[in-house]
Amino acid sequence: MGLLKHLAKRGIFLLATLILAIYLTVVIANGGGLIDEILKAQIENELRQQLQNDPAFRRLPLDEQQRIFNETYALRVEARGLNQPFIQKSFTYTIDALTLNLGHSLVIQANDGSNIVSRIIAERLPRTLVLFTVANAVGAVAGIWLGLWMAKKALSAFDRGATVVSITTTVVPPWIFGIFFILVLGYALRWFPTGGWIGVPAPPGGTADWYFSVAYHMMLPLIAFVVATFGTWAYTTRNLVLQIMDEDFVNAARARGLPERMVLNKYVLRAASPPIVTSLALTLIVAWQGAIITETVFNYQGIGQLFYDAISVFDAPIVIGLTALYAYLLVATVFALDIIYSFLDPRVRAVRR
Amino acid sequence: MAARAPTVGIKGAFLEAIRMKSGIVGFAILISLLAVTVVIPVYAPYDIVRQWSNVNYWLDNPRVAAPEWTQIFTGKEEPKTTTLASSTFRYVEVRTTIDAEGQVFNLTLINASRKFFWTFDGFPSELSMEITAFFPGNTSDVPGESPLIQIFWNRPDGQYVLLLQRTIPAREFNLPTTYHLSTDSDVIGNIRDWVQREGVISPGNVSQAYIRPETVLFAKMDSHQLDPQEAANLLTGEYQVVVSYTGFSLVDTVRPDLTIYGSVYGIAGTDFSRRDLMTGVLWGAPVALAFGVTAAVVVVLIQAILGAFSGWYGGPIDEFLQRASDFYLIIPILPILIMIALFYTPGIWAILFVVVAFSIVGSTTKVVRSIVLQIREEQFIEAAQSYGASRGRILFRYIMPRIMPYTFALVALSVPAFIFLEASLSFLGLGDPVLPTWGSIIGQAYNEGALFYGWWWWVAFPTIGIVYTTVGFALMGYAFDKVLNPRLREE
Repeated sequence: MGLLKHLAKRGIFLLATLILAIYLTVVIANGGGLIDEILKAQIENELRQQLQNDPAFRRLPLDEQQRIFNETYALRVEARGLNQPFIQKSFTYTIDALTLNLGHSLVIQANDGSNIVSRIIAERLPRTLVLFTVANAVGAVAGIWLGLWMAKKALSAFDRGATVVSITTTVVPPWIFGIFFILVLGYALRWFPTGGWIGVPAPPGGTADWYFSVAYHMMLPLIAFVVATFGTWAYTTRNLVLQIMDEDFVNAARARGLPERMVLNKYVLRAASPPIVTSLALTLIVAWQGAIITETVFNYQGIGQLFYDAISVFDAPIVIGLTALYAYLLVATVFALDIIYSFLDPRVRAVRR
Repeated sequence: MAARAPTVGIKGAFLEAIRMKSGIVGFAILISLLAVTVVIPVYAPYDIVRQWSNVNYWLDNPRVAAPEWTQIFTGKEEPKTTTLASSTFRYVEVRTTIDAEGQVFNLTLINASRKFFWTFDGFPSELSMEITAFFPGNTSDVPGESPLIQIFWNRPDGQYVLLLQRTIPAREFNLPTTYHLSTDSDVIGNIRDWVQREGVISPGNVSQAYIRPETVLFAKMDSHQLDPQEAANLLTGEYQVVVSYTGFSLVDTVRPDLTIYGSVYGIAGTDFSRRDLMTGVLWGAPVALAFGVTAAVVVVLIQAILGAFSGWYGGPIDEFLQRASDFYLIIPILPILIMIALFYTPGIWAILFVVVAFSIVGSTTKVVRSIVLQIREEQFIEAAQSYGASRGRILFRYIMPRIMPYTFALVALSVPAFIFLEASLSFLGLGDPVLPTWGSIIGQAYNEGALFYGWWWWVAFPTIGIVYTTVGFALMGYAFDKVLNPRLREE
C-alpha cells in the first residue's frame, strides 16, 4: 500500500508539473499574441477555401460575399474563443495542448501530405525514441561496466586515466562529437553514412534491408552519443561503488566469506542501483532536449530535427506542439523511472507505511 | 559573501586543488583563456568584431582558404593572396585630338600592364579586378563618351587572351568598379571561345558552367586544362595582365588593381564570407567566458542560497523549494528557451537573463540542502545557538561560509553546460546576431556544407576553442570537487 500511495503522490505531482509546464509554454508563446494570430489566419484560410468551393456563394454579389465572410469569420473566432480575455484563452489552449489537439502546421507536412501537427509528430517520434533509447542503453551499460572496473582498480593508473577521460568527455555534448565523427568517420574514412535516418531510396519497409539501413544510419549518432555520455556513468558508478564498498554491511558480507563476485552483485550493485536510476533520469532529460541539436547535426529526421526545421521556417504550431510533447516526454520518463526506483529502493516502501 | 568566508575556505581549497594534476592543467587552461581575453583587443580590436557580420569588410581575404601552416604537411607552397596594386602597373598613354571628316574627337589611349611571376605550387582561388576610371563623366552623358576597357591575359606560353571588353557607364566616373573575373559570364564566354579556337576542346563540347577562369588561365593547354584544380596542370612562369583603356577626353586616367586570391590564409583560415577565422575564434573566448561564467556564478549562488534556506529552515519553505526544484528539473527548458529566442529574438544578455530565470532552483539546491542538513547537526551550530545567535545570523555567518568553497566547485563544474547552452542556441541561429561566437561559427560552417566540402578548419578551430575551454573548467571543478567532497578523497 505504501508503494501505491507513494506512486500516486508522485503521479499527482508530475501531472501538476506537466500542466504547469504546458501552461508556461502557452503563456510564453502567446505573450506576443502569436497563437491568436496563427489561429485567426487558419480560420480565415479554412473559411475562404470552404466558401470558394460553394457555387451558391460565388454567385452572390461581391459585397454580399464579403458580408457573409465577415459574419461567419466573426462567429468562428468567437466559437474558438479567440476574443476571450487572455487568462481564459490561455486555459483553453492549455487544455488543447494537453489533449494533443495541436492544430495545423503552417509549412511542414507529414509524408502523406497531412498538415495536422500531431500526425507530423507521430511520424517522427518513433525514430527519436529508438535512437535515444538504444544510445542511452549502450552508453549506460558501457559506462557502468567501465565504472566497475575503475572501482576495482581504484587509484591505479588505469583508474586515474579513465577518470580524466570520463570527466572531459562528459562536459562535451554529443553534437560536438557528432561533427567530429561526421568529418572523420563519415567523410574522410567513409565508414558510415553522414546523415539521414534511412538510405535514399529507402528499402521496402519490414525487410532485412530496411532494418539494416536504419541501424547503419543510426551508427554515427549512436557512437557520438555513447562517447559523450559513458563518462557520467563510469564516474558516478566508480564513486558510488567505492563509497558502498566501505559500508559495514559490505564488510560484514565479506567477513561471512561470501565470494567477491557475489558481494559485488548482490550487495554493492543492489545498493548502488537507486542512485544510478536517479542519475539516469537526469541524463535522459538532458538527452531528450539535446536531440534538437544532435539530430540536426546528423540530419536524422526525428522530432529534434523537426523542431529545428520548424524554427527555420517559423512554423509556430509545430514549435509549440513539440514543446508540449517534450513536457509529456520528460514527465513520462521521470514517472517511469520513479516506478523502477520504488521497486529498487526498499526504503520507499518502508518509510511511507 | 565570499569575503566573509574564512580564508582557509576557498583559498585553502584552491591551493590544494592546484596541487593536483587535473587542477593544475585546468588552472593553466583558464589562465591561458584569460590571457587570450586580454590580448585579443590587440590582435583584433573591437572595431573589427563589430564588422563581423559586414560582408564588405572582408573582401580582401580569400574565400574558405585553408590555414597557411597546412603547407608544411602538403609540402607544397600554396598561393597567398597577391594584390597587384595600380601603382605597380606600367602605363603607356597617348592623348590626341582626331579630326575625322569634320568631327573632332578627343582621345586618350592608355595601356596599363603588369608582369608577375607565378611560382606557387597551386592555383589561385579567385580573380578579381577593380578598375577606377577618372573621366569627365556626368558633364556629358552622351553614350559615346563612356570609355571602353579591355582586359587581356598574357601567358608564359605566349597565349594572349581577351578576358573582358566593356564600356564603363558614364555615371561610374571616378568610382571603383569591381570585375569578378572568376564568375563574370562574359569572361567565361571569352575563355570558352579561346580554348575552342586553340583546339583544346572541340567546339560546342563544353558548357560554360565547367569553366573556372582562375584554373583555366593558370593551367597548361592540354586535355586537363578544363578539369578541376586537382587534375589540371599548373603553368608557372611570367604572366602579364594588360588593361587597355580608350577614353574620350584629354584628361582621362585609369587605375586598375588585380587581386589574385590565394588558397591559404592566416593561422585558422577563412570562412565562406572571407572572414578571418582566427579573429572569430579568439573573440569567441571572451564571449563564451562572459556568458558561461556569469550564468554559472549567478545560477549557482541563487540555487545555493535557496538550498541553504531549504535545509536550514525546513518545514513548508523546504517542502516548497524541494517541489520547485523537482519542477524546474523536469520542464523542457531547452525547447522553451528556443521558443523564446525564436519568438522574441533577444540578444545574448537577454537570453542570459532567461536562462537564470529558468534555473532559480535545481540540482545545486538539492546538493547544498543535503550538505546543510549535515552541518546543522555539528557542534559549532549548537554552540552558536546556545549563546543566542539568531537563525538568520547562523545561516549567513556560520553555514554559508562552510558551503562557499563547495559552491565554488559547482560554479566551475556548471560553466561548461552554460557555454554549450549558448553554443547550442547560436548553432541553431538563435544566438547573438552580431558577435562572433563559437556556436554560430560552427553553425554557419555546418549550413554552408563545410563538412561535405572538407573545409575542416572552419569547424575544427571553434570546436577546439569550445572543447578546450569547457575541459579546463571541468578539470578545475573536478579537482575542487575532490578536495572538498569528503567522499571522493583519496586516502
